[in-house]
Amino acid sequence: MNRRDFLRHILMAGASLPAISWPEHMDLGFRFSEVTNAAGIHFRHNSGAYGGKLLPETLGAGCAFLDYDADGWQDILIVNGMDWPEHKRQRTTLCLYRNNRNGTFSDVTREAGLDVEMYGMGVAIGDYNNDGFPDIYVTCVGQNRLFHNSGNGTFIDVTHASGLGNRHAFSTSALWFDFNCDGLLDLFVCNYVKWVPEHDVFCSLDGTRKSYCTPEAYRGETCWLFRNRGNGTFEDVTAHSGIFDTSSKSLGVAMLDYDLDGWPDLLVANDTQPNKLYRNLHNGTFKESAVEAGVAFSSDGKARAGMGVDAADFDNSGADGIAITNFDNEMIGLYKKMPGGEYQDIAATTDVGLVSRNTLGFGCSFVDVNLDGQLDLVVANGHIDETVRFIRSGVGYAQSPHLFLNQGKARFSDVAHNAGTEFSRPKVGRGLAYGDFDRDGDLDLLVTTNNGPVHLFRNDQFSGNRSIRFHLVGTKSNRDAIGARVQITCAGETQSRMVKSGSSYLSQSELPVTFGVKHHDRVDRLVIYWPSGRTEEYKNILTKRAYKCTEMRGMVFQYGF
Amino acid sequence: MTASNSFRSMISMTDRSPTPALLLGLVLTLLTVVTYSWYITLQIDGLKSVQRDFAGRNRKDSLQLLRAQNDLNSLALAMRDMLDNEGPYPLTAWSAQFERIHADLDDALRLDEQLAIGHRTPEQREYLSNSLQQFWDAVNRAFRLAEEGKEAEARYQVKLSLLARQQALSITVARLLVENTESEEQTALYVNQIYNRVQRHAYMFLAGTLAAILCTGLYLTFANRKLFNRLSVLSAQRSELAQKLISTQESILRHVSRELHDEFGQILTAIGAMLSRMHRQSPAAAGLCNDLLELRDITQSTLEKVRGLSQSLHPVSLDEADLGTTLDWYLPNLERQTGLAISFEKSGVCSQLESSVRVHVYRIVQEALSNIIRHSGSPRAWVRLNYQPGSLVLEVEDRGVGMGTKLSHHGIGMTAIRERATLLGGTVEFLRPLEGGTLVRLSLPLIKTEADRDETSAPTLPEGPASMALTR
Repeated sequence: MNRRDFLRHILMAGASLPAISWPEHMDLGFRFSEVTNAAGIHFRHNSGAYGGKLLPETLGAGCAFLDYDADGWQDILIVNGMDWPEHKRQRTTLCLYRNNRNGTFSDVTREAGLDVEMYGMGVAIGDYNNDGFPDIYVTCVGQNRLFHNSGNGTFIDVTHASGLGNRHAFSTSALWFDFNCDGLLDLFVCNYVKWVPEHDVFCSLDGTRKSYCTPEAYRGETCWLFRNRGNGTFEDVTAHSGIFDTSSKSLGVAMLDYDLDGWPDLLVANDTQPNKLYRNLHNGTFKESAVEAGVAFSSDGKARAGMGVDAADFDNSGADGIAITNFDNEMIGLYKKMPGGEYQDIAATTDVGLVSRNTLGFGCSFVDVNLDGQLDLVVANGHIDETVRFIRSGVGYAQSPHLFLNQGKARFSDVAHNAGTEFSRPKVGRGLAYGDFDRDGDLDLLVTTNNGPVHLFRNDQFSGNRSIRFHLVGTKSNRDAIGARVQITCAGETQSRMVKSGSSYLSQSELPVTFGVKHHDRVDRLVIYWPSGRTEEYKNILTKRAYKCTEMRGMVFQYGF
Repeated sequence: MTASNSFRSMISMTDRSPTPALLLGLVLTLLTVVTYSWYITLQIDGLKSVQRDFAGRNRKDSLQLLRAQNDLNSLALAMRDMLDNEGPYPLTAWSAQFERIHADLDDALRLDEQLAIGHRTPEQREYLSNSLQQFWDAVNRAFRLAEEGKEAEARYQVKLSLLARQQALSITVARLLVENTESEEQTALYVNQIYNRVQRHAYMFLAGTLAAILCTGLYLTFANRKLFNRLSVLSAQRSELAQKLISTQESILRHVSRELHDEFGQILTAIGAMLSRMHRQSPAAAGLCNDLLELRDITQSTLEKVRGLSQSLHPVSLDEADLGTTLDWYLPNLERQTGLAISFEKSGVCSQLESSVRVHVYRIVQEALSNIIRHSGSPRAWVRLNYQPGSLVLEVEDRGVGMGTKLSHHGIGMTAIRERATLLGGTVEFLRPLEGGTLVRLSLPLIKTEADRDETSAPTLPEGPASMALTR
């Protein structure tokens, strides 16, 4: 290579850096294959759009992996909207798909009693009554719904019986967590803005045709916190707990342990308003600490359009990092916990910031897609306005997702274009959840689209990397062990995961935790920090297996893969 | 004006060296650049100061005021929510939200206080501080009423008092923002004036610098011209001196040679004749007779040596015969004396050269061969004399070590060759043949002249190209 060739290669490399950060020909060691139709999932979201451009139409909807029949196989729940009252064309409901344990699913919505028409937005899964069967909370535009799992494959709407009725709002994401560590799951619900169809504001991009408004046109709405009384009813503790804030316009919520005190804290992503970090004060109240933690604003002091959010130990430091998806031209916020306790947005110094400048992100999850022991970041993208291409060149309505592969030392590369043809195809993505529906030890993805189909992507591993999975069952703690932190040490590397509800956008992923361990055949040490305060430790555990860990009763082998 | 007079006048003209003037110019230029740099640094510092102390600070202050304005708007929204509250929450639910906004507003106004010291009147500060205090007092009263269960009274308080006070505060902050904007405009104007001044001065400095460069250039041109003139005179003087030296040397050699031949030769011949006569007239005493014979032989030998010395100093044939003949006599003698094998070639139609030309060419041959003997280490040499129409080419070649890069360090011999060639109006080249060694090539133009020079006089040359009589 002569000097001219060398300089040419350098220039080409420099020019292509933003677009191509991973060689096209490189084998990632895994691939996401679309198996939606083959799995028998034929769902299409109904936003109710009829041309009125009503605000909720462009924001839904979510999805979830759950094991509703407690058979050890992950089932799927997909939230749906409905036609607006004056524009009825069809009847649509959320859909529950039972896992047939052979790679296919059956639609059991009607049998389960869930064929209820509602304008659904998000979903949170949690066993609030500790009966061993996960219950479903669906957020809606209007009245949210709580469906109690009766344990025989059917659900009962207990919204009003539980004290959650008579509340009408534009709710978005929600999560179950035990904020007072009493062994009962409490409920946190995000509300977006004060909106009713009758008072929808006329917004226009071209001055003539109506378009979807930004949230600045509406007043904010406080999030809700409901304490589980333990008798099947809930108490609204929003005001008492310090959560009450009518300025918020919340779309996403994630639980994390910000101050590493073992008590669950909350991070709420707000749209055009500062994000909120509610630090648990252990006395049933929270202190809002987003500004001092450095996650309220962007690094230039701007309140961004926060959509989805997830928190996880992506740098294996033991502390939870945070990812928040934002509007296009705002970049994803990728926050790393610094030694001083505050967060620093490192997105701009990695591919994450550069690549996400032209995408509008919604669902986001830290997932170890290649089982290398480093949490990667998956982001579902899609714009809210079909005409965006006329306003911003290079930004489309349908957008490819991001798959930021974690290369260690806070370095990420977007490899979505190489992870599967259907996976990388542009779509109007919204919800995102992960779960191992085929029990092969790796994590599959479920992506919803606005007013479009859902996509189930099966993770196919070729690298030979192994994993280990733990399904936690609380006894003193809440039965789902939500809030438990699981820590493994393998070949000198320590990873940690939290059992959590919520996160992403309007969605919920499976509750079992999965660790990638590369080619190692055993984990040296496993430590479980239960929400009750109890700590359990296990040693020398074989990988390529799933285990069930019951609080105070030990660990048993479930299945291998 | 003779050359010497011209030289003297030139020396007097160039007595003053340009170096001091140039050094003075350099010092002045450096001083100007340093002064201008200092001036620019001063202006940049001034700009930095303005931007830091006024523009930057003003901007930061405006950001804090915007933050305060945003807080006041949030308060207004919260109060509207309180009044429109249809939810299950009591008014006290808003207290945490108010506390958060209170903390942020206080922080923003504290920073504003620090940043706006320069252009905020004490009355403005006092008014803002009092207004805020009254607002928060009213907020506390409203929440106390709400805590006491007097929701309606609290709402009335919010509606009647808090909203109006919030509005007044918002207007106050908005006025401060307007003042900041005006101050920013004035600062921008001031900065613009500085830029314009610096730009004007920069143009002046540029014009001055260009003028200085022009003057220096003219002065250097003039000084250079004077230096070259001086060098020309010096060169002419050197040539003149060399000519005189050579002429003097040739004159002396010719004179000594003639004296040896004519005077000492005659004396020794007479002594030899007298000794022969005395030998014939002396008695036959063996001793005296033998002494006279021996003395006569010594005298004869001395006579031959004197004649030989005379020839070597200035061969008679140089005055009486052509150059080829002289070389025919000289080269075999040199071969015998030094052992150097010399091949001599003559070509072309032999021209009758002026005596002075013959002398110079002969001396060049002598010098070239002497160099070969002393420096080249070559056992053999070639001398080629080529008469061409209008020119004469003489070549002396050897196969020795060659002169290489030491050409300019060969001493007076080479210089003498060059000078003689110059005197003859010819050129001399010192070449390195492919086979190695050195080739000295002398090329002389043969120009027919009208003047019939006196061949017996010292060889002097007219100014200009070498001239010689061409006779056939």
